[in-house]
Amino acid sequence: MDLHVIFSSLLGLLFTPKLLGLMLLAIPLGIFFGCVPGLGGKLGIVLLIPFVYGMDPLPGAVFLLSMHAIVHTGGIVPSILFGVPTNGPEAPLLADGYPLVRNGQAGRALGAALSAAGIGGMIGVVCLALILPVVEPFVLSFSPIEFFWLAIIGITLISALAGKMLVQGLIVGCFGWLIGMIGLDPQTGVQRYTFNQLFLWDGFDVISGVLALYALPEMMQLGRGKSKREAGVPEINPEVTKYTFAEVWDGVKENFRHWGLTITTAVMGTFIGMIPGLGGEAAGWMCYAFAVSRSKDPERFGKGAIEGVIAPSTGMNAKEGGGLLPTLFFGVPAGSGMAIMLGALIMLGIKPGPLMIVHDLPLVWSLIWAIAISNLLCTVLLLVVGKHMSSIAHIRANVLVPVVLVFALLGTYLAKDHWESLLVFAGMGAIGYVMRRNHWPRPCFIIGLVLGPTAELSFHKAFALHGLTFLVQPTSLVMMSIIAVTLFFNLRKTYRRKPGAVAAAHPTPTGGSI
Amino acid sequence: MSRIAMTIAAFLFASVPLAQAADSAEEFYKGKTITYVVSTAPGGGYDTYGRLVARYMNKYMPDSKIIIRNIPGAGHVVGANTIYAAKPDGLTIGTFNTGLIYLQLLKESGVRFDLAKMSWIGKAASDTRVLVVSKSSGVKTVQELLDSSKPPIKLFAAGVGSAGYIDTRLAISALHLNVQLIPGYNGSEGTMSMLRGETQGTIGSQSSYTQFVDDGNGVYIMEAGGAAGSKIPQADQFAKDDNARQLLKMIAAESDVARLTAGPPGIPADRLALLRSVFTKAMADPQLLADAKKMDAPIAPATGEHVQQVIADALQQTPQNLQLLTQAVRAGQ
Repeated sequence: MDLHVIFSSLLGLLFTPKLLGLMLLAIPLGIFFGCVPGLGGKLGIVLLIPFVYGMDPLPGAVFLLSMHAIVHTGGIVPSILFGVPTNGPEAPLLADGYPLVRNGQAGRALGAALSAAGIGGMIGVVCLALILPVVEPFVLSFSPIEFFWLAIIGITLISALAGKMLVQGLIVGCFGWLIGMIGLDPQTGVQRYTFNQLFLWDGFDVISGVLALYALPEMMQLGRGKSKREAGVPEINPEVTKYTFAEVWDGVKENFRHWGLTITTAVMGTFIGMIPGLGGEAAGWMCYAFAVSRSKDPERFGKGAIEGVIAPSTGMNAKEGGGLLPTLFFGVPAGSGMAIMLGALIMLGIKPGPLMIVHDLPLVWSLIWAIAISNLLCTVLLLVVGKHMSSIAHIRANVLVPVVLVFALLGTYLAKDHWESLLVFAGMGAIGYVMRRNHWPRPCFIIGLVLGPTAELSFHKAFALHGLTFLVQPTSLVMMSIIAVTLFFNLRKTYRRKPGAVAAAHPTPTGGSI
Repeated sequence: MSRIAMTIAAFLFASVPLAQAADSAEEFYKGKTITYVVSTAPGGGYDTYGRLVARYMNKYMPDSKIIIRNIPGAGHVVGANTIYAAKPDGLTIGTFNTGLIYLQLLKESGVRFDLAKMSWIGKAASDTRVLVVSKSSGVKTVQELLDSSKPPIKLFAAGVGSAGYIDTRLAISALHLNVQLIPGYNGSEGTMSMLRGETQGTIGSQSSYTQFVDDGNGVYIMEAGGAAGSKIPQADQFAKDDNARQLLKMIAAESDVARLTAGPPGIPADRLALLRSVFTKAMADPQLLADAKKMDAPIAPATGEHVQQVIADALQQTPQNLQLLTQAVRAGQ
């Protein structure tokens, strides 16, 4: 690989005032689109396209990519502090991020998540650079068979996430899967559970589900409690809000304490991002589930385990680098965000395809560097500013609840533009509230909702292509053994431990409420 | 002399209402906001065309403001329902997939529009349907797909019930193609599956596969509703009877009218005329053509009157054809 091209692209970015200026402009915009529930990177690109219209390919693409690459980093702050996921991919952060905040560890949680996102973004870019030479065979090696088994592996991780509450976890997971079946049957076109309602034809919206399941119950609990302590939230203590940079730094260092996890989930995220069809929601949850499955104490998860914050953060940012690969070199967008990006790139005069590696290598490297630099700058910026933002977490309930609910409702409505989503929000919120009260594991629902349909569709395709013989192909056999082994160890881990041992080892003030 | 003057006066008098009508339509739109409904989420072809059309229509209605509203859902049905149900004051127009013709013919539940009654403003492009096969499939002509002694080749399609799926089913029924149809490939997954060699081809809109073919990964072996002079063989030359030709006509109609703009039924005639003329002017704007070229968005416009005719024809199917359509769609279930 030509080192000259690689570094002249970097220098070009840093020392061309226009390019650097556009990147500096893109960062606050990206944070904004990430912060406000329901906006997100996709809408961001669409809204910014008129502004890059007529720009040269390089500055236009650098601007859009820099903005898009950090949207998830921007979403980290509200997701963790308010327990409100701003967009689908941030949802896994809630499981442990919000409990950490309630335990008075906002600084540590934010430090860990933000730096993990930055590191994830950087590793994603490194992986992308390393893979450039062998791009084609890699992306092509994923068929519906692999998709099917990846989804099934994700689903079996319910066994690890649910911990002691395995039965409840399975019920919740199946419920999620059931809800995921709403819409047109992918194989027969028959309407399933749509009750003749057009808004249900495209299926149940993941973001409405996540917002309803998390935001509403948390806010109800906060609102009905006589005090925050009763609601599982620390009393307002000015001292707690004034956490120091040392705490944030401590969070940053968690990434290095768990360096194995950080690197593995970043690499996982990159690869998930490269595979068209797996989508943004999957990356975070798969990394989260991976963190749970490799932990010695999976029961800590959902109650404020720092690994539960690191894994999805690295995963969701790393996938942005990965997602660029099929988009640029196959003209095949990896996800819906990249699909819009692809359209924007074409509009700017960039012709994605295998030939880019021959003709446009400097441009490719500039884009890679743009993602890396914006990740780095955004992380540093939010680590500094996030400290001020985190005091918001200790706002009185009577101020916080209405504000968060307004944003949650807005996000639910914006996600699909159907007013009926608001009814779904209320209904799912009520279910979420009951689940929260009884400490049923809510992430299992999202796993069923997101991965269930992927598994179903991939099964149909694999079956149509190969018949049932696909189950005995080498890939399938390997994947099945992986599933059997993880299931065995997860269940053994859960049932061999003496009751009470976990609680004693990891006291969680707020109790288990994933 | 006075007779001439009288004639002129009479002529002027007679033309007043006409001029007044045009004036009043222009007067009406002054300072008003027009909502242009795009029946998909932001991004993608329909959104691109919708925004392009709206921006350049606005150029010729400088005293009004055209805003885009994305109303996705149920494969364009929600958007089309919304446009159909809008107040027919000429302030709500929009775009959706022509494949909705099929849904209307099939009387799908949820369809609350009648395309025959809508106020058609124009279309921006044609979207030829092609049968594209991957290079690795080794298939070079349609004849190879007619030979049932060979193992069937695998064609992918989007979800069951989607326009792409129905196109493929209709073509298979009409030409008795020896293929296995594998639905469920959304967006770019299908292209990937051809590159992987897992499927061998598909029937889809030509614009989606231009790059695939340009990169040398595949070839077009048949088209339906293409422009005159195309080198790709037309589908109806493989049709053996009238039934087959009728079925193929449905695909051709769908591909002829694409990227359309329409409003609800009953827009006052003068306002509709104004919208149509603005649309036509926008389509001829050199700047629009330059932008469209940059975006790889071909422009082949037609007037609202033409679109209305094509849609009306496509909706006039004999009961026998409707049955063929129903069979073609239900065959996969």
